[in-house]
Amino acid sequence: MSFSRPATAAAAMASAVALALVATGCAGGGNEGGGSGEDGNITLTVTTFGTMGLDALYEQYQSENPNITIEASNIDTGGNARTDTFTKLAAGSGLSDVVAIEEGWLGSVMEVSDQFSDLRDFDMEERQGDWLDWKVQQVTDSEDRIIGYGTDIGPAGLCYNSAAFEAAGLPTDREEVAELFGGDDATWDRFFELGREYKESTGKAWYDHNGFVWNSMVNQLEEGYYTADGELNVEDNAELKERFGWISDASEDGLSAAQTAWDWNGGKAFTDETFATFVCPGWMLGVVQGQLEAGGGGPDTGWDFADVFPGGSVNWGGSWLTVPTTSEHPEEAAALASWLTQPEQQLAAFEAAGAFPSTTEAQSDLAANPEPNEVFNGAPVGPILVDRSQGVVAQFKGPDDSLIQENVFGPPLQKLERGEANEQEAWQEALTLLDELVG
Amino acid sequence: MSSTLKAAETAPSARPSTRPKLSLVQRLSWFDVKASPYLYISPFFILFGLLGLFPLVYTLVVSLHDWELLQGQGDFVGFENFAATLQDRFFWNSIFNTLSIFILSTVPQITVALVLAAILDHNLKGKTFWRMSVLLPYIVTPVAVALIFSNIFQEESGLANNLLGLIGVEPIEWKRETWASHVAIATMVNWRWTGYNALILLAAMQSVPRDLHESAAIDGAGGVRRFFSITIPTIRPTLIFVIITATIGGLQIFAEPRLFDVSTAGGVGGSDRQFQTTVLYLWEMAFFRQDFGRASAIAWLLFLLIVGIGLINFFISKRIASADGRALKKKTTQKKGSSA
Repeated sequence: MSFSRPATAAAAMASAVALALVATGCAGGGNEGGGSGEDGNITLTVTTFGTMGLDALYEQYQSENPNITIEASNIDTGGNARTDTFTKLAAGSGLSDVVAIEEGWLGSVMEVSDQFSDLRDFDMEERQGDWLDWKVQQVTDSEDRIIGYGTDIGPAGLCYNSAAFEAAGLPTDREEVAELFGGDDATWDRFFELGREYKESTGKAWYDHNGFVWNSMVNQLEEGYYTADGELNVEDNAELKERFGWISDASEDGLSAAQTAWDWNGGKAFTDETFATFVCPGWMLGVVQGQLEAGGGGPDTGWDFADVFPGGSVNWGGSWLTVPTTSEHPEEAAALASWLTQPEQQLAAFEAAGAFPSTTEAQSDLAANPEPNEVFNGAPVGPILVDRSQGVVAQFKGPDDSLIQENVFGPPLQKLERGEANEQEAWQEALTLLDELVG
Repeated sequence: MSSTLKAAETAPSARPSTRPKLSLVQRLSWFDVKASPYLYISPFFILFGLLGLFPLVYTLVVSLHDWELLQGQGDFVGFENFAATLQDRFFWNSIFNTLSIFILSTVPQITVALVLAAILDHNLKGKTFWRMSVLLPYIVTPVAVALIFSNIFQEESGLANNLLGLIGVEPIEWKRETWASHVAIATMVNWRWTGYNALILLAAMQSVPRDLHESAAIDGAGGVRRFFSITIPTIRPTLIFVIITATIGGLQIFAEPRLFDVSTAGGVGGSDRQFQTTVLYLWEMAFFRQDFGRASAIAWLLFLLIVGIGLINFFISKRIASADGRALKKKTTQKKGSSA
């Protein structure tokens, strides 16, 4: 449920341009469906977002299938991809042959699932068993149509800056760090307690901003903003309220660096120890890497990845590749999407961008191959994430889930970390916004 | 025209009383005379009907329904969407932001454009160079402008705050404080449009008869006096045009606030909608909250607002300029009389 995964500045600009085109009604046309050439050559368009790690795979697919040309475009964040997809769905044209959709706004997509091809018409029946059950369940509609090939899921570990930890006299070895946070019994309580100690000794913030910590907490709940049967579940949700209190206390103690997410001062906040910890679903590793590059930092900035997560395991985010019914070459598009989500390709995507595979075969491969990740101080991120994914089940996402996350809870959480509201006021604001925006 | 002549020649006697039976040729030429002009201008109206009028009316239809972005048309709800919009604090917030940014951008923009145009109207060395230079920002697309300026107004390490730091001013939270964000966005708009408006005004100024200036100068009118009493009244129509287009553009600001802070709250104009303009609010309603009915209602209310403010502007600018114009006319006739 990330609202995204920004990549590089270039991608941001490209999408900003795309946005402006959408805004002026000039979008469409350009990347509408694929075309077929004279000699059976087919052009397939693909739209992805954030860092999905598929770029190199397109090349490979094209060389293995010489009659296919892939025209890929990538949107900077999941939020902007949502706007792009919805706008084109509403217009009834302009969608690519293969469109990536994200968990946070899957709820809305499932309401119009008939606008996407039923992949059982292609090879879904045989492949269904490749994925974790719930990954397929999420994209199965009430008529048992399956509309998406799962790409990644979002088990999360803890990114921490070992240099910052060292300065504060905390252990820096990733196993000791995992132990420090409580190992398998890690709690948010412990996380914030360590944060207060850190703040005490260094005077610096503990985590980057409230929103992501809040997302992690919400995703950990069995039922988040919606109950499993699709009812809004915020106002009387005691668990949610309790966690809001934790965040409020942490904000009061100055543990949040109040950073702007997806910007992080142009990545510099990652390089100058503005904060010491960062919640890291698999795909976020690619984001951190991108931010480090943007901010001019490398492996020496000290980021590492520990096999621990406050409050236990969580699934945050994850995507699918779909084939809209507007595609002129649904069969070829489905073949491409299917190929891109094969275990082997998922491993390649993980290698490139940390997108944690959703197929069980790829996961067990990862567990067996502790490839060190250079950006994260040589951490074996694969096996760690496999470990973090144990027992993870994605939460049900309602139609307005991403809206609630970003526009209902976003502003009050920001007010908390900026000291502009107390817990009571902020919670009240969230409820007011919920009433006004979702109603 | 020749066809009318022909028609008149062939049937001259039948004119006074009853209508004669017309031959095919006559009827064709009658049709030619009566209908051709309309046919010639019809492409504009057909296009306007298709691309202007139809969407306008269709938007009204949508605004009267429950209409979801993805699910499409729902029940007819009458004016409920309008009522809901008028009671929505975010709508009024967006109107306030729009008007604030509009005033912060249009007023300095036209004032500076006038001054710039007056300067360019003098005999400068390398006029073309200067004239091209003021137009340069206009060539840059708004999106690029927004990206550049959102970088300049970055709060932690942007150029604006760095420069302010040099003279000891505390960093300003450009993307959080309402006024600061309005100033920042108005700056983008001004940067882009001032030169464009200056050139249009310059073109008008160049058609002001020089002898008017000369005789006024002989009578001892200074540069400022001549500017206000001669230049401005004479370029009145152009000035009105510039003011009206600036009004329409100013009330439709979208790209600048949309791209000013894309990272916060999905780019709806700040964490607390500090700089969410009405068009941006419309966008949020349509493509973010997916309520097309409400979005269409907002579009119509904005349309009415623009028409209203456009009319007010029109009358004000007409009045101010024409008051001066009358005074000038009197004066010039007097002068002509006395000098003759």
